[in-house]
Amino acid sequence: MVKRYRNFKELGDTVVLYPDDYINDIEGEKLEDLCANYLDRGFRKIVVDFSETELVNSIGVSILIGVIEKVRERDANIYFSGLKRVNYDIFSIVGLTKHIRIFETEEDALGIGPKTAGQAVL
Amino acid sequence: MSETELSLERLLFNLNTLAELGEEITSPKDFTRVVKSSLYMVMGTFSSSKGAIFQHENGNGSYIPIASKGLGDIGGLRLKLAPETIAELLKRREPVELGGGKDAGFLGAAGETLEKIDAKVLACLTVKDELLGLIAINGKFSGEPFTLYDHQLLSVMSQHISFSLHSHSLLMKLMHKYTENKGLYENLRRIYYDTIHAFAAAIDAKDSYTRGHSHRVSAYSAALAREMGWSNEEVEGIRIAGLLHDIGKITVDKTIINKASPLTSYECRELNSHPVIGYEILSKIKFPWKGIPMMTRNHHEKVDGTGYPDRLRKSEIPIGARIMALVDAFDAMTTDRPYRPKLSFKEAICEVRENWNRQFDPEVIQPFISVIRKEVRREADNPTIVPLLQEELDAVSLNRILEGFPGPRSASRPCRWISRVLKNTCQAIHGWIAELQRLCGLNKNGVFSSSCKRPNQNPRTLREAAHIVR
Repeated sequence: MVKRYRNFKELGDTVVLYPDDYINDIEGEKLEDLCANYLDRGFRKIVVDFSETELVNSIGVSILIGVIEKVRERDANIYFSGLKRVNYDIFSIVGLTKHIRIFETEEDALGIGPKTAGQAVL
Repeated sequence: MSETELSLERLLFNLNTLAELGEEITSPKDFTRVVKSSLYMVMGTFSSSKGAIFQHENGNGSYIPIASKGLGDIGGLRLKLAPETIAELLKRREPVELGGGKDAGFLGAAGETLEKIDAKVLACLTVKDELLGLIAINGKFSGEPFTLYDHQLLSVMSQHISFSLHSHSLLMKLMHKYTENKGLYENLRRIYYDTIHAFAAAIDAKDSYTRGHSHRVSAYSAALAREMGWSNEEVEGIRIAGLLHDIGKITVDKTIINKASPLTSYECRELNSHPVIGYEILSKIKFPWKGIPMMTRNHHEKVDGTGYPDRLRKSEIPIGARIMALVDAFDAMTTDRPYRPKLSFKEAICEVRENWNRQFDPEVIQPFISVIRKEVRREADNPTIVPLLQEELDAVSLNRILEGFPGPRSASRPCRWISRVLKNTCQAIHGWIAELQRLCGLNKNGVFSSSCKRPNQNPRTLREAAHIVR
């Protein structure tokens, strides 16, 4: 059963999070809180879909690192999808791309698209 | 992306971060938020998952966390730095790498504390050789080492954050001074009020019967002025004027003030000089409120022009003095005097009614009645007049007492005409009586005019009580 809300979608033990168009101030921390909340509820796979996100700055990077740390602490999995080129470049600069699996689309990250999960595509 | 492209992108990203950091620290946002955002920018730039900013705690060489991320609650953490450690940090200027056999032993116990929070790099926040704070972050998320370039970038970012800390520190010092000055001002204000109250007590102490009179006149005047829509500042002014309105009595002989028998003309003159003497005393004081000396001078004027000292008529009398004329007389009527016992509330109101537009101004009587009504009906937030009356009043008896009370808006046009005719007739009769008395050598109270008659206890007339209020 799929439950879709404005900022997230639940599919079994997987949740897809849709951040705002800009992750550039400390208000973005709500993404970290949301993620922690899902992990507390037993969700094992987090997909963060950035297709609506125009820009991630250094504050956003810091928040996303917080999200990744939280997921890792619980031995869960996290995938990014839908990254715009500019955001992918920023993730490359700070070294995130070497440690996170990034997919072209949300469906790919969920393993239901043409390119299956497990392979970085960008 | 090629290595060159990546370097260029990194440079642009870092320049953008520096620009954003500059914008953040000069923004009018809350300081806590600015510091938190600054820390996140530093951590995002170096992809650190843990970090904190510490600020110098005044006077004891301790540095406390004012923002942190990824470290849970570290509110109780303290970095205690010895003076020589601070001197060494200031000498180095550059970020210090911690742990891993690096040369950070000079940090002493603070180094161990930093190790506990997994700090790998420590940067100083300095302004003019003063160590305002520290930034500590853990290693990069990517596991890469910090380069010389990273150190330089962290130094620049730290410099930006230092300015923010410095500005905040100056602001806090200013706030401290402001609070201190505010306290001093409050003290002065209290002393000022205490002095005024002491004066009021000194005035009332001259006459055991009028004890508390100045305070009641002050409270009544303020309540009435508020009802009339005066500003808080104006209400405060009339409150002070009420306390000081009889200050001129200080120079009047106590035996005259307390005399139960009729006053001689000399004694009358002496007593009646108190508004002018009060004015002369108060006009030399620079009050923060307007009109206090004039309210004091004119609080015995009557709207028909028969008052003293200036025999002013209605609109010539300052409104504050018209208020005080009513409440001064009202309090005098409702309290015991050496020459008569107090009148009941009902009797006092009858007197006010009798002197409508003669001694008292209708524009003042109306709101006065309105305040009393509100207080009896418990509609007033801070009842002032009724609690001081020492007489139980309920809404039913009050309505009976105030029944038919004339009001400028309540009277219809024919009623007003009849009222005017009656008033003119009464005034004419009063004039004839006064003329008759003058021809017979009597004063207005029917006593031979060598003395200023006071109403005695028996017989007691309401008119006398109201007119001869001192």
